[in-house]
Amino acid sequence: MARFLVKRLLSATLTLFAVSVLSFLMFFALPRDPVSGMCPKNCNPERLERVRQELGLRDPLVTQYAGYMKGIVTGRDLGSAQGGRCDAPCLGWSYVSNEAVSDTIARVLPVTLSIVIPAAILWLLLGVGLGMVSALRRGTWLDRLAIGFSLTGASLQLYFVGAVLLLVFVYHLRLLPVPSYTSLFDDPVKWASGLVLAWVSLAFLFSAIYARLSRAQMLETLSEDFVRTARAKGLTKPRVYGRHALRAAITPVVTIAGLDVGGALGGTVITETTFGIQGLGRTAVDAVRAGDLPTIMATVLIAAVFVVLANVLVDLLYAAIDPRVRLR
Amino acid sequence: MRPRAAAAAGGAIALVVALGACSENTGEGTTVDTGRQQTGVIATDPKDSQGPAAEVSGARRGGTFTVIRETPISHLDPQRTYSFAGLMINPLFARYLTTWKDDGKGGLVLVGDLAETPGTNVNNDCKVWEFTIKSGVKFEDGSPITSKEIAYGIARSFDPDLAGGPTYLQEWLADSAQFDTWWDFKKNKGALPPGLTTPNEKTLRFEFAKPRCDLPFAASLPTTAPLRADKDTGVNLDQRPFSSGPYKIAANQVGVQLTLDRNPNWDPATDPVRHQYPDQFVWNFGPTADAANNRVIADNGADQSALAFNSVPASLVARVAQDAALKSRTILSPTPSANQLVINNQRVTDLKVRQALNYAIDREGLIKALGGQTVAQPLTTLMPPATIGFRAYDAYPAGANGDVDKAKELLGGQTPELVLGASDDTTEQQMATQLKGNLERAGFRITIRNIPDDAKLDEIKKKDNPWDLYIGNWAADWPSGASILPVLYDGRTIKPEGNSNQSYFDDPTINAEIDRILALEPAKQGPEWAKLDERIMKEHAPVVPLFVDVAYHVHGSKAGGIFISSVFGYPSFVNAHVKG
Repeated sequence: MARFLVKRLLSATLTLFAVSVLSFLMFFALPRDPVSGMCPKNCNPERLERVRQELGLRDPLVTQYAGYMKGIVTGRDLGSAQGGRCDAPCLGWSYVSNEAVSDTIARVLPVTLSIVIPAAILWLLLGVGLGMVSALRRGTWLDRLAIGFSLTGASLQLYFVGAVLLLVFVYHLRLLPVPSYTSLFDDPVKWASGLVLAWVSLAFLFSAIYARLSRAQMLETLSEDFVRTARAKGLTKPRVYGRHALRAAITPVVTIAGLDVGGALGGTVITETTFGIQGLGRTAVDAVRAGDLPTIMATVLIAAVFVVLANVLVDLLYAAIDPRVRLR
Repeated sequence: MRPRAAAAAGGAIALVVALGACSENTGEGTTVDTGRQQTGVIATDPKDSQGPAAEVSGARRGGTFTVIRETPISHLDPQRTYSFAGLMINPLFARYLTTWKDDGKGGLVLVGDLAETPGTNVNNDCKVWEFTIKSGVKFEDGSPITSKEIAYGIARSFDPDLAGGPTYLQEWLADSAQFDTWWDFKKNKGALPPGLTTPNEKTLRFEFAKPRCDLPFAASLPTTAPLRADKDTGVNLDQRPFSSGPYKIAANQVGVQLTLDRNPNWDPATDPVRHQYPDQFVWNFGPTADAANNRVIADNGADQSALAFNSVPASLVARVAQDAALKSRTILSPTPSANQLVINNQRVTDLKVRQALNYAIDREGLIKALGGQTVAQPLTTLMPPATIGFRAYDAYPAGANGDVDKAKELLGGQTPELVLGASDDTTEQQMATQLKGNLERAGFRITIRNIPDDAKLDEIKKKDNPWDLYIGNWAADWPSGASILPVLYDGRTIKPEGNSNQSYFDDPTINAEIDRILALEPAKQGPEWAKLDERIMKEHAPVVPLFVDVAYHVHGSKAGGIFISSVFGYPSFVNAHVKG
């Protein structure tokens, strides 16, 4: 187990290193100039060049990359034009929001976590639950209802579902406040009421996929010999379905869930845009639109961290769920 | 001076002003407020600069005024403020040497803000200016504001770390665009740039190498906001500026929400323009223009006292215009942002061709294509009607839809082949297509060449750019011809790159006339700029004036006191209040 963990973490680190190098190179490959963004209206070419030199943008690429990575690990001094000392993990300075990128991330990451984690719990419970019920009650009205639900969810888009929910619950019935983010620790009720529509929208769309996947997997597992054997040995239905069939059926669901949650934590752009909430996803899109390269790079790195971590977690869960899997 | 990147949402008045058209000056409703008539002056009576500002009818103290805007404000630090949103929020927490008393109907008076008057032209040569600072003006912590803190604010604007704000004062003091090498702020902390002195705590003195008659106007920009040296946090001041205005920063979640509370140390008796009606201003950032406007239209809860800072988007224009219940909650007002079809005079050298271009344009069709009167209003002059001394004229009268026959007659059978450079922005593509259609009716052969939107401005500012025509926009920093005609049509300013004179028009007699007018007292310049405007168009036709932008905003049922700034063309908050 320990050996497996070390190997996976090493490989994750290598992946992240590769992502950091690529995104750093992209920083320079893109036809964007962070200095002209800093002074878009009235800086003459000579002045812009002086600022570029002051910021170290004329240093060799390797020096700049080493400085960036050092900043993440130990922090670094960015100079007076970039707010002075930047503590670890220092992700650079944004000339668009005029603050350390780590401050931006510290502000928007809890927003995305607050959207994705409750939504993921909802969509997994709802999706897997519906899929299981549908498989166990195959051919009944419950099954048909679940299939209808999953078809509807799979064929709709979040910006449509979100807009309809907003129209009904916020603008017409006025049952909910305009979506916004409040820290869970400041006001749990406001936190939940401000994000519930985002959770429901995401859960509705995602659970549809999980319902279909779980149903198919469960049906396949139920036809396996070991299930018949377990029943023949006199085990109760809940024990057979819950302890044996479900564990076998859920493995692919865990794989997909890991990727989905990891990807969503990297930014739920459409959800955040639909509900006007500034999370990591919108921050990334805004950064791309504004050519805010340090922020683009930070969001790319963070998204990569989530996907890599989600994969490690999925591998660990495999071993817990399926005794045939051995971690080496 | 700020060329806007894309035409879209501002507005203006145009010929109707000259014709004396007049509508109710409420600034609200779905008919464009054509009653605006710019009557800008510089206050000569010191009483005009004294507070308190006249009470706003029906306004009361209390409540929270919310402003919803899609994107954050690029800078809050006054010395770095140059965006329109920044220029509109700054007066809530920053005071300047001078400011505009704006009645929201085009009537503007430049008054002293921190200064007792809009400045004294000491030798009447515009080279030496003095400002006397008012008594009783204070920062948010109750400490007094003196000439020293105002001078410090101006001095820090020389710091290249704090780039982004207007650079008039710096360039005028240095008499050079390279002001940051002329005087190094960091190496001279505690000192002031040469030419800027504080003979005593009440006096601020500017001495320039050349006459700078527009100084009282330039002093109305946030560069002159005061700051105490011990409160200067460098680039971090952007997060929390130190207030000298009626509100102070209470909380700032960058990009999410900005909350302003009342500043108890602001004394209304010293302030001729601002009020302190709401308990709080809250700026929400994030919702798209559609979402922000939908929220305000829905008029629920806190949104009842909210304004959508983003103009009504095209997707909602019809709904807003047709909803009679919204009429009292919309502001549809002209702005000083002017758009032209710029002719590259280095390439299109034949005057008759330039005149034919002017005759061929179908302004009504163009405006219809852009979205109609809620987006734009026709313009036939170089300066927008919101300019002091403006006089309406049409040098090439061609009716609302252009005069194709007259254009053809001027071309005399020629079919000039011209290249129109247009950014790949949607609005500009629409305009380019429409303009191409207009011009080809008259016999021109137009090829549209796309330019990446973020590169267009830099490209057309290059003297040797390869296009014959392009769409230009100009929104001046103050409503004086001096901030328009010399900048856009003085041929001596043309350099290899970074040109504001994008028509590359250069005529020695016009240049000489510019010099003559600039040497006049600012108060006498207005009518002279208007005469020069007409002369340039009649004699040279360097551009085709197209339209001015129209501002179209929705606010909640309890939001009051909002009007469109006659200077910047965006909602002003100095009179904002929450209705009971």
